[in-house]
Amino acid sequence: MDNVYRPYLMKVLEVRQHTPDVKSMRVAFQDEDVAARFSFRVGQFGIFSAFGYGESTFNICSSSNWRGYLEFCFRKTGRVTEALWDTEVGDTIGFRGPYGNWYPMEAWERKNLIFLGGGIAMPPIRCAIWYALENRQRYGDITIVYGARTVKDLVFADELDEWEKHERVRVIRCVDPGGETPEWKGEIGFVPHVFERANVPADNSVALVIGPPVMIKFTLPVLDRMGLRACDIYTSLENRMKCGIGKCGRCNAGDCYICKEGPVFSLEQLQKLPQDY
Amino acid sequence: MSISLQSLITMVDSWLGEGKRVLGPKLVKPDFVQYAWLGAGSELQLEGFLRPANSIKEVVFPRHETLYRYRVDGKTVQLLEEDFKPVETLVLGARPCDAAALPILDPLFNWDFRDEFWNLRRKAVTVVTLACQSWDEQCFCTSVGLGPDAARGSDVLLYPLGNGHFAVRLITDKAAALFGSYADEDHPDPSPGPPVKFAPDAVKEFLQANFESSFWQENTLRCLGCGACAYYCPTCHCFDIIDEKSSRVRNWDACQFALFTLHASGHNPRKTQPERQRQRLQHKFRIYPEKFGEILCTGCGNCTRNCPVGLGVLNVLKAVQHG
Repeated sequence: MDNVYRPYLMKVLEVRQHTPDVKSMRVAFQDEDVAARFSFRVGQFGIFSAFGYGESTFNICSSSNWRGYLEFCFRKTGRVTEALWDTEVGDTIGFRGPYGNWYPMEAWERKNLIFLGGGIAMPPIRCAIWYALENRQRYGDITIVYGARTVKDLVFADELDEWEKHERVRVIRCVDPGGETPEWKGEIGFVPHVFERANVPADNSVALVIGPPVMIKFTLPVLDRMGLRACDIYTSLENRMKCGIGKCGRCNAGDCYICKEGPVFSLEQLQKLPQDY
Repeated sequence: MSISLQSLITMVDSWLGEGKRVLGPKLVKPDFVQYAWLGAGSELQLEGFLRPANSIKEVVFPRHETLYRYRVDGKTVQLLEEDFKPVETLVLGARPCDAAALPILDPLFNWDFRDEFWNLRRKAVTVVTLACQSWDEQCFCTSVGLGPDAARGSDVLLYPLGNGHFAVRLITDKAAALFGSYADEDHPDPSPGPPVKFAPDAVKEFLQANFESSFWQENTLRCLGCGACAYYCPTCHCFDIIDEKSSRVRNWDACQFALFTLHASGHNPRKTQPERQRQRLQHKFRIYPEKFGEILCTGCGNCTRNCPVGLGVLNVLKAVQHG
């Protein structure tokens, strides 16, 4: 019987700790045939599981160009993520997916890309950044604004340095007031304000904004003032999910099942959804 | 021709003897009839009650089921997947409002991703439905396009003749072998059923226009979030997936529970009971019809009968009409 709830078994290849409570993992398909035929698009998500503890939903934060393995990132917050936290290289975890829609990377070609992220929202942006950098000639200027509460809460901080070395890439780091250290060379302030102060040119641009609801709330008016249209602003909604395949009944916002019709939405689409996310 | 209660009882016993399962109305305690797995034909109860307290959805969608088992051995995991072969099952004495729920849920379990647990169980189930002769003030099947002898989801319809016999109307071929020889060309006129209490289109329009509305606060704040409505509902199908005892299992869940939509961050899109009540009504009368062309409600009235604070679909919809 074809069991849609059956996960792939994944071998943990690498574990990286980013902050006191955030880790990312690189995992490879145990079954070589599956590994050879598996593909996904940046922006899609998976249901990852720790056997004996349960399943959790995370974005696949690696680029879709990276073959043979995939990566995901999580904060230690509950039963499953605590079990994943204790998972070591060589251990086996479960993965179902890829699920959901993806970033319209083809439609974004020849445009300037503005990535705005807060806290644990860097991973779902990171996959798109790597994808764009790996296809550098297809995209215009890339601006990355990434903020966290404190310096030690920045996720994938080492990759920010790496991205900055690429041509026509501007990286702006910021931490909330009080979250800085004496050595901190980035900005101090909240993502929407820091972004507005940075005077990023808005012509021919699309923005991907992911972060806590409060960050998104204050960033959208800034983008609006810059002249970005609602159809050029995107986000990824992260409603709670169990099945990931449109059956378990909890991730919907109005008549939209986030797991199937999302998680990626333009602001134009979001404006048509009821406030149910 | 008609079939006698005695023949039905004999039929149950012979099925049970062949190792098949039979779900039917059973007096589980004084004045309380539930659909239950029958241990003998004599337990079958076909008269003297309005409708069983629960629904039949459990025959295809158990409240607790194993999706697969696994063995963890140090760093390796082995998935243990047995061949899933559901036992052949007869539902004898379903109400039309219970039988109709099964085809209503088929598209949900099959859009893009086919849930074979549901599909294989559906194939293994024969539904023999007992037409209604009475209704109570909570019944509203006629408002959602069904009725006392609606054939949807049924393989056979039985009409009580009042003399210990039942007229037999074959609906599908599935039960022809069992009931073919008893089938009647004519069947008695059904009871008229409950009066129509609302128009689904008007409800849909109201829901469309009143997502943000004080209506929910005013009329549903008293919801306790117990989930009884969902557990008794023939069409509520929300579920949770958890791990227990080296198994990944699926359990019934309910949109009225506070944890249902709670994010890991602490954010909850539906943080109060009125928002959860709104979701339940929206899902049944607007979202599901838009997605699948079906009202996710059969008018059985179970949610109202079992609500400790007098809510349930019907009472909320009454408030819509008076609002």
